[in-house]
Amino acid sequence: MNFLAASIESLGAKVVGWFTVGYGMFAFLARAGLLLLDRTTWNRATFDVVVKQVYFTAVQILHVFMGYTLVISWLIITIILSTARDFGLTEFASEMTIRVLVLELLPFLTALFIALRSGSAINTEVALMKVNSELDALAHCKVPPMQFEFLPRLIGGVISVITLAGLAGLLALLMGYLSIYGVSAAGFEPYTRTIAKIFDFTIMAGLIVKCALFGLAVTLIPVTAGLETPKKLFMVPVSVLRGMMRVFFAIVAIEVVSLALKYI
Amino acid sequence: MNKLHFKVGLFTAASLLLAAIFIVYLLHARGFFEKTFHLQLAAASADGVAPGVPVVFSGIEIGRVTTLGLNDSGGIIIRAEFLGRNAKWLRENSTFTLDKPFVGGAKIRVESPDLDAPALPDNATMLLLTSDISKEIPALVERVKAILANVEHLTRKDGEINATLANVKTVTGRMTGEYGVLEGVLGSPEKARAVTDSLEKTRALITKLDGLALKMDGMAAKTDQWLFAQDGMAEQTKASLAQVRLMLDDAQSSLKKADALMSNAVDISANVKEGTQDIAALRAEIDDAVRKANALVNEINKKWPFARDPEVKLP
Repeated sequence: MNFLAASIESLGAKVVGWFTVGYGMFAFLARAGLLLLDRTTWNRATFDVVVKQVYFTAVQILHVFMGYTLVISWLIITIILSTARDFGLTEFASEMTIRVLVLELLPFLTALFIALRSGSAINTEVALMKVNSELDALAHCKVPPMQFEFLPRLIGGVISVITLAGLAGLLALLMGYLSIYGVSAAGFEPYTRTIAKIFDFTIMAGLIVKCALFGLAVTLIPVTAGLETPKKLFMVPVSVLRGMMRVFFAIVAIEVVSLALKYI
Repeated sequence: MNKLHFKVGLFTAASLLLAAIFIVYLLHARGFFEKTFHLQLAAASADGVAPGVPVVFSGIEIGRVTTLGLNDSGGIIIRAEFLGRNAKWLRENSTFTLDKPFVGGAKIRVESPDLDAPALPDNATMLLLTSDISKEIPALVERVKAILANVEHLTRKDGEINATLANVKTVTGRMTGEYGVLEGVLGSPEKARAVTDSLEKTRALITKLDGLALKMDGMAAKTDQWLFAQDGMAEQTKASLAQVRLMLDDAQSSLKKADALMSNAVDISANVKEGTQDIAALRAEIDDAVRKANALVNEINKKWPFARDPEVKLP
């Protein structure tokens, strides 16, 4: 009897914990969104931090990311093409390539890439600031951390993921064309027709919204996880670990929901 | 100059430019800058047609079904949209067929036999035909069954085809023998050998005949010489025949005398039966002699065309 009560209690504690985390996250997001509507937010200092954030999240890794995209795209396109040829489904190969790479795989990989590189960095940084009471100091100096530290990170993350996923998608489209038709303009018409068939308004809007959600997930979750850190230095790694796990689940959940909306 | 800002600016500008180019390209691909061409298709049944079903021309998608619904009289109206650049494939004599393959989705197939025919106007209404393969299957199965039964009958163990094949096997087996096709046709090597032997003999015979013909030519020349030369055989024969005729004329005259004599004798001994009998026998003998003489004359005249009146006439 005691055991049952204990397990029910622990389950309740877990659920409450999830709700607290979720609530904290969405409350943070709501505050950030409200701040975005505030005219005082749009100042030079915030803009500078956004630019810095975009630089560190997107521009700095651009060459590495594009090289990685090139290899992954080439591999997957080659696999799809040869498989389609084996099964006599060549006419669907270009559509399949675009759908798999541009719509699903590359945004997902971009989000993972940025989560591993920038998300973990943000989480650690915020956790350390929290542990070292820097945030309190900033607030004391009338520098609201939300406006100058967190909101720019969110905006930078969203912009970075959307831009990088878009660039990777364009590169994959180019690679797909070159793989299927080679260096000639002959395939332009059919390829254009395939692209026109795939990218209708809802798909484009869905892709952008998905990338934006990815961008939010890889920045918002680390920031909130960092803010939750108790003021003890040894809790910083635990905070990063939790934050990264949540980021991973969030990315997978967004991908699953987007797929379900698209194909079910 | 802030290097960081420059890099971010460059990155943003390049990304925005690429995004803008892609959006313009996408709008072009989706026909945003073109007029849309509409078509209505009247069908008996909308089975398998749904918005998004492609309209294909020569296997290439040129348009899509946008909506489908019922008209006031209960007929089905399917509306399809085409890009302006694809409207040129739709002609007044185009046919629209709904294809429902086993594998893959339904599609509307356009066939334009004459691309010089007048173009379809926008919002035209055309008839949609249906080629439903699944409805033809039962009939097809029945026919295939009948064909299979026939094939089974033909190929049964003691069937005609087996017998024919056995015969063919025998014939082709013989054909591989020493005398080839000839043996196959004639049935055994002995017969084939007989044919080849006779051919050999014929060849030898022909050679001999050739020689003989040459000899005959020589002989004919000699005969000519012998027959028709001065004092030759022909001349001598002519002379002797003249003598023969004289002799025959003599015979004829003496026979006439005998005839007269015999007539008298018949008159005299009319009553003497025995005598008459004897004379009748005599007469028969003489007739016989005359016939022989006549035959002789005829024979001679056949060979030598000198006489005109070969017959020895008896009174």
